[in-house]
Amino acid sequence: MRARVTAVLAVAAVIAAGCGGSSSGGKGTTGNGKLTGTIVMMSAAQQNEAAAYQQIFDKQINAKVKYKATVESLSDFETQFQIRAKSGTLQVAAAPQPGALPKLADAGQIVSLESLGFNIDELNSLVGKSFMDLGLYKGQHWGLPTNINLKSMIWYPKKAFDAKGYQVPKTWDDLMALSAKIKADGSTPWCAGYESGSATGWPATDWLEDIMLRTAGPDTYDKWWKHEIPFNDPSVKNAAELFGKVMFTPGWVLGGAANSTNINFADAPKPMFTSPPKCWLLKQANFIAAQFPTTAKPGVDYDWFEVPPIQQQGVLYGGELTVVGKNANKAVAKDFLTRFIAQDVQCAMGGVPASSRISPNINVQQSCYVNPILGQSSTVLTGALKDGTGRFDASDLMPAAVGSGAEWTGMVKYLRQGPSSLDSVLASINNAWPQ
Amino acid sequence: MPTSNRDAAVETEPSAATSAETTSSPWTTVLRVVLAIAIPVAMVIAFWWAFGFLRRTDANRLLIVLVAIVVGVGGVFFVFWAMDRLVDYLPRRLSESVRPYVFVGPALVLLTVFLVYPVINTIIVSFKDPNSANFVGLDNYRFVFTDPSMLRSIRNTAMWIVLVPLVAVTTGLGFATLADRLRHGEATAKSLIFLPMAISFAGAAVTWRLIYSYTPEGFGSNIGLLNAVKTGVFGGQPVAWLSQQAWNQNNFYLMVIMVWVQTGFAMVVLSAAIKAIPDEIIEAARIDGATEFQVFRRIIVPSILPTIVVVTTYMVINAMKVFDIVFVMGNAEANHTEVIAERMIRWFFIQADDGRGAAIAVVLFLAVIPVMVWNVRQFREQESIR
Repeated sequence: MRARVTAVLAVAAVIAAGCGGSSSGGKGTTGNGKLTGTIVMMSAAQQNEAAAYQQIFDKQINAKVKYKATVESLSDFETQFQIRAKSGTLQVAAAPQPGALPKLADAGQIVSLESLGFNIDELNSLVGKSFMDLGLYKGQHWGLPTNINLKSMIWYPKKAFDAKGYQVPKTWDDLMALSAKIKADGSTPWCAGYESGSATGWPATDWLEDIMLRTAGPDTYDKWWKHEIPFNDPSVKNAAELFGKVMFTPGWVLGGAANSTNINFADAPKPMFTSPPKCWLLKQANFIAAQFPTTAKPGVDYDWFEVPPIQQQGVLYGGELTVVGKNANKAVAKDFLTRFIAQDVQCAMGGVPASSRISPNINVQQSCYVNPILGQSSTVLTGALKDGTGRFDASDLMPAAVGSGAEWTGMVKYLRQGPSSLDSVLASINNAWPQ
Repeated sequence: MPTSNRDAAVETEPSAATSAETTSSPWTTVLRVVLAIAIPVAMVIAFWWAFGFLRRTDANRLLIVLVAIVVGVGGVFFVFWAMDRLVDYLPRRLSESVRPYVFVGPALVLLTVFLVYPVINTIIVSFKDPNSANFVGLDNYRFVFTDPSMLRSIRNTAMWIVLVPLVAVTTGLGFATLADRLRHGEATAKSLIFLPMAISFAGAAVTWRLIYSYTPEGFGSNIGLLNAVKTGVFGGQPVAWLSQQAWNQNNFYLMVIMVWVQTGFAMVVLSAAIKAIPDEIIEAARIDGATEFQVFRRIIVPSILPTIVVVTTYMVINAMKVFDIVFVMGNAEANHTEVIAERMIRWFFIQADDGRGAAIAVVLFLAVIPVMVWNVRQFREQESIR
């Protein structure tokens, strides 16, 4: 009897789910051509960040148009994004993984910027062709860059750092020497935390990419994420070994390499802000500044330097390509995105204290950002976008089975099992590549 | 005299009614037919509007809830009432043979649309590529039975199926038997054990994350209950419980959560069954000199065996589809705590590979069938005894 009750409940649940999901020919299409109705932008932004953006939307966009644009913050963005794309309820979404777009485009779940009527040349000059090209598939562009973040950053507690007389390293060897010196001084050089729920391991992939870009160079880097060289290519192995040198040298990582997989990435900076600091260096993208103590002042209590060059220098960045779902009101979506990416709105978003986002619009000046760290990062990034030397986070460009699966898991295994596991880890990531 | 008066009244009323009916008969018939058509049409329009309204994102949330309740509850009632009336207008002999199907019909339609069709479609998709565009033969099934992570998920699920029901039913039975002997406070004791049942699996998992919480040295103080007990009683260093892979121990830490949630359910159901055993049987056994353990083994357990079977089946099915606990507790693949349902969600939604996701779903579906068949057979046997 219990099973029968369960069955009834299951049917009820399925009915409920079915009601929520069905939408073909729904409301979204009815207002086509007219700039009315609503448009929802899905985002992985934090709640308070999203609330701040909503205020800017209200003031700078909604007050001037007949439709209403809202931003929706989702902590399980990746899952919800796929679900909505499949069910056809997707309107606008700022997707952090360009690697997911070809599949959505093939399935006809999203529409291209060309079909929305965007002028691609204009956009190319607005956000840089290299960033735009990440959304290029079958001759069309499927995502509009709306957010960018700098990954090649190493943070340090400036006040204590200067008091100790440490120097910002100019080369990779300097960085290694600094790590050894901090250890010799009786402390631990590196803060590291790679736990992130079911995405545990992702911050470690940034390490691999930054080193790959600096050792193998941008051309090999591009071949790597396109799988024109295997994942266990010697160049990748070399990069992973350099990363391993930092992680596995005894006494270099607070808590040890294996434990770093049990520390949430947002908790990693905490020991840097004790007095004296328990660890001195943290490699993480610009958005980690949101996790620093609110009392710590940028430029005074903490600061950052770029990951130093190894054989060459590089700029690693992540970001979001905003896509439009097939059932969205296309005229409204285009109008909204045009206003959204424009200089005035993007500049206003830099004025939000809660914001940790940087505009890919190369016309947005450093002075737009209330947070000086974001301002500095934006200068590095817009420079890289203008001359096309920057490279996007490889794991977000790879197919999901690798970039948001096997590679995360592989890095966790490498950190837990030590240097001897490297060959089998790289081979298993390579095997996960979809045929 | 009053009697005849009343008789007259009784007689006149029906005749008046019949005469009224016969005089306006053609009109009434037309009216009825019009109503019979108009009501369903109005209903469809009302439902259409209501579903459209429920999808609006800018509408007042409270209003949406209200409409959902009115349409959901009132609508279903109204559909059945209207269908029933509709059947009334059919010729009498026809209407009685049609009526059962009218009542069962909506359920059958819903079952077909939401259960039968998805099952068939999932099976078809499981033979296709990630975009469910081209057929790829048995590739997805080859993946299910060769991928190391998938094989681990099958092994882990098997452990869940065996261990969770075993531990939960045993402890539940123990509690039920012992609580039955309590002179005071039986209700309180049972309520306390039943309490976790009110928490969702995801909620329970988040709570238990705090119990298993681990902070390495330098990152602040350890707030985890288990580490507090470990370091306080046994000494030594705190442990990262959820990534302990030796002997699959982290799998067991996750199973504890489901046992914690479900023991109360087993206890309540089994306790009710124990109370239904006639006192005479137990007393007779005691008079014959049976020990308490013998009473338990030879009287209580056999008497409530059907209930134990039902509870166990329910838990087996629950353990088979466990997802939330595993998903909340970190990177399952790195911790080797994968289970089948978790793999299904991951491949279908996160890796966006429809084919593999569907193939895993089909495997899970096939694995549930024997349990279901067993359950139904058990249920029939019980019915035939009655």
